[in-house]
Amino acid sequence: MNENTKPENLLLVDNIQTYIGQFHILQGVTVEVPKNEITVLLGRNGAGKTTTLKSILGLTPPSQGKIIFKDMEIHGKRAFNIVNLGIGYVPEHRAIFRKLSVMENLKMAERKRGDLDKHADFIFELFPDLERLYKLPGNHLSGGQQQMLAVARALVPDNDLLLIDEPSEGLAPILIQQMMEAIRKLSQTTTVLLVEQNFIMASQLAKNFYIIDDGKTVTNGKMSELIHNEELIHEYLGASVRTVKQGDKA
Amino acid sequence: MNHEKRKQFITIVIFVAILAILIAVVWRTSGTTTFVRTALSGLTLGSLFFMVSAGLTLIFGLMHVLNFAHGSMFMLGAYIGWQFYTNPTFVFGIAPLIIAFATGLQFLTVIKPRLTQLNLSESLQNLLPRLAWVLVIILVVLAILNFDILGLANTAMVAVTTVTESNPLAELSPQEPLARFWLRPFFLLLGGFLAAVAVSKPGNKKEYVAAEHTTRNWLLIGGLIVATILLTVFREAWSEAILLMNGNLRFVLALFVATGFGLLCGMFIEVLLIRPLYTRSFFIVLMTLGISFVIKETIQFLWTPLAYKMVRPPLFAAPGKAETVADWLLNSNATLDIFGVTFPTYRLFIILLGFLMFIFITLLMTKTRLGMVIRAGVQDPEMVEALGINVRSMFTFVFALGIAMAALGGIGAAPFIPVQPLMGDQYQMQGFITVVIGGMGSYVGAFIGALTLGLARAFGDYYALKWSLSTAVAEASTVIIMVIVLLVKPSGLFGKKE
Repeated sequence: MNENTKPENLLLVDNIQTYIGQFHILQGVTVEVPKNEITVLLGRNGAGKTTTLKSILGLTPPSQGKIIFKDMEIHGKRAFNIVNLGIGYVPEHRAIFRKLSVMENLKMAERKRGDLDKHADFIFELFPDLERLYKLPGNHLSGGQQQMLAVARALVPDNDLLLIDEPSEGLAPILIQQMMEAIRKLSQTTTVLLVEQNFIMASQLAKNFYIIDDGKTVTNGKMSELIHNEELIHEYLGASVRTVKQGDKA
Repeated sequence: MNHEKRKQFITIVIFVAILAILIAVVWRTSGTTTFVRTALSGLTLGSLFFMVSAGLTLIFGLMHVLNFAHGSMFMLGAYIGWQFYTNPTFVFGIAPLIIAFATGLQFLTVIKPRLTQLNLSESLQNLLPRLAWVLVIILVVLAILNFDILGLANTAMVAVTTVTESNPLAELSPQEPLARFWLRPFFLLLGGFLAAVAVSKPGNKKEYVAAEHTTRNWLLIGGLIVATILLTVFREAWSEAILLMNGNLRFVLALFVATGFGLLCGMFIEVLLIRPLYTRSFFIVLMTLGISFVIKETIQFLWTPLAYKMVRPPLFAAPGKAETVADWLLNSNATLDIFGVTFPTYRLFIILLGFLMFIFITLLMTKTRLGMVIRAGVQDPEMVEALGINVRSMFTFVFALGIAMAALGGIGAAPFIPVQPLMGDQYQMQGFITVVIGGMGSYVGAFIGALTLGLARAFGDYYALKWSLSTAVAEASTVIIMVIVLLVKPSGLFGKKE
């Protein structure tokens, strides 16, 4: 394969099927994540975006299909083994450890001793607030700070891929801007697979997109093309259309 | 959030204030001597309650498992420790067998990464584990065929009646000759290895696990094999050496042996019996109840339902009263003078053991990485796994730790209360009440709850005697405290709201 024409895939999700209990959530999701680019999963609530991330991580293991990360088959492995191959996960709803301090939350993510010391400068450069809050327990943080901590946690070990689930959820506009800056900065060194409802944020950050609907990938392509395809946006992303237009005017 | 914390703080302050007033009133009405004696008795009981409830609350907090086998593990710890202390022939008789099987199983860590990568046809993949299991059963049966376990269990019984001061080796009885015995651990080692082969699902590439820490695992296996050989070859010599040892040292060893045994038991139970049931929590309750019955019946089979008295270690045995602590340590007196009260020194040791255990848990939970991971796991185990931490093995460790603490409590209590199959049951009951009072999952709550209950029991007994009431009053007092605490704070003193 010629490397100049086609970027190398860091992650390949090939037609996976996932059940949660009796519910057939994913019925054929295929995603390719090229190295050193941001790829975004779009789709309505309940379409299966979060489940896709969790299936990659092995938290909700797929029953069929293949997942290949760094040329290794990872489906069927235990979640902690998959993660230790170099995947960072930022869950939705800011799932930080509320009883643990900011420092402990970051320490939790260490895979080897000294990971945090190694990356502390980079983390505090992205999120200066966290340095000030270092000793405070997680439940004393505001929503925005908790979200920053959740992202920072994924940056503690050396990761090749970051799975980020709805980083803008429930954030004030100014914080969304800050979060976008942070993700743009960290994407210079890491590959990112993003799930995002906020279409403005998604369209400004991501290079590639996938639309998931009813547990299937319906279409994919370059973000630059999607922005002009109002029909497609309307069909699968519905309410987001208006925000796009407002965003264009602004 | 902050408001909640303040509320919790206020509750505790009120609780302590009520306790202080009660203590003051009791002190005034009963006089110093009675108060000190009763309070120390209460602390002794409270320490024992804590040793049981500490494990209960840790296990519940992390895994939401109500462990009804906890009292039985307390009892098992007492039996193993008592056997080891009086005559270790039994412990050394079965140790090679257990260690041999565990060594065989340990091969799992190194063979699984290789076996899963084998190219095997589907039918062979199905056939191999079954074949292995059949061989395991045959080997285990061969290994325990004609094994005189009752005779072994009876060895320590002799010690109860004979005075061993003059000749500590008097009651050692000859064991099965090594030339025949060595086959048993050997078969069990093979059996364990084959079980590991069966469990690792040869040829199943989906089960692939990365070969991690290979050197460390091989070293561990090598160490275990050496241990097995040493235990097998010198099994009688070990018993002799232990019996010739200083009694205090032997007792300390007995504490370690019981704790280690509890750790092993906990690991086996969690991995084999509890783990498959995490998604069906109701069945776990039935499973733990079942385990407790099996343990009790096994003990009754081995040692009959009689109660035994374990001899106190020499440090707490010499007749006469010591005036000071230094005096006691020098002369090993059975009693000590505390504020004019003659108090048994062994009970002081139990109090000390309870407090040491509390300090140990506090340090573990607040100062170590493992404690941090456990605290995080209590809130969100899935996220802990998503950070690359093996949550399953953390569950195993915490379960084993809880069981080990119960076993340590058991051997700690053995010289103080009769050793019999049902000895753990009342402590388990009080342990559950303690955990409810302290708040499910909080070890600090368990500590304060345990001391409160112990004091309530002791003072309840005292007043029942003084006012010639039924002793049921003392037993009811703990439940009454639980009812009051639950009415005021439904989640317990340190519990979090659901």
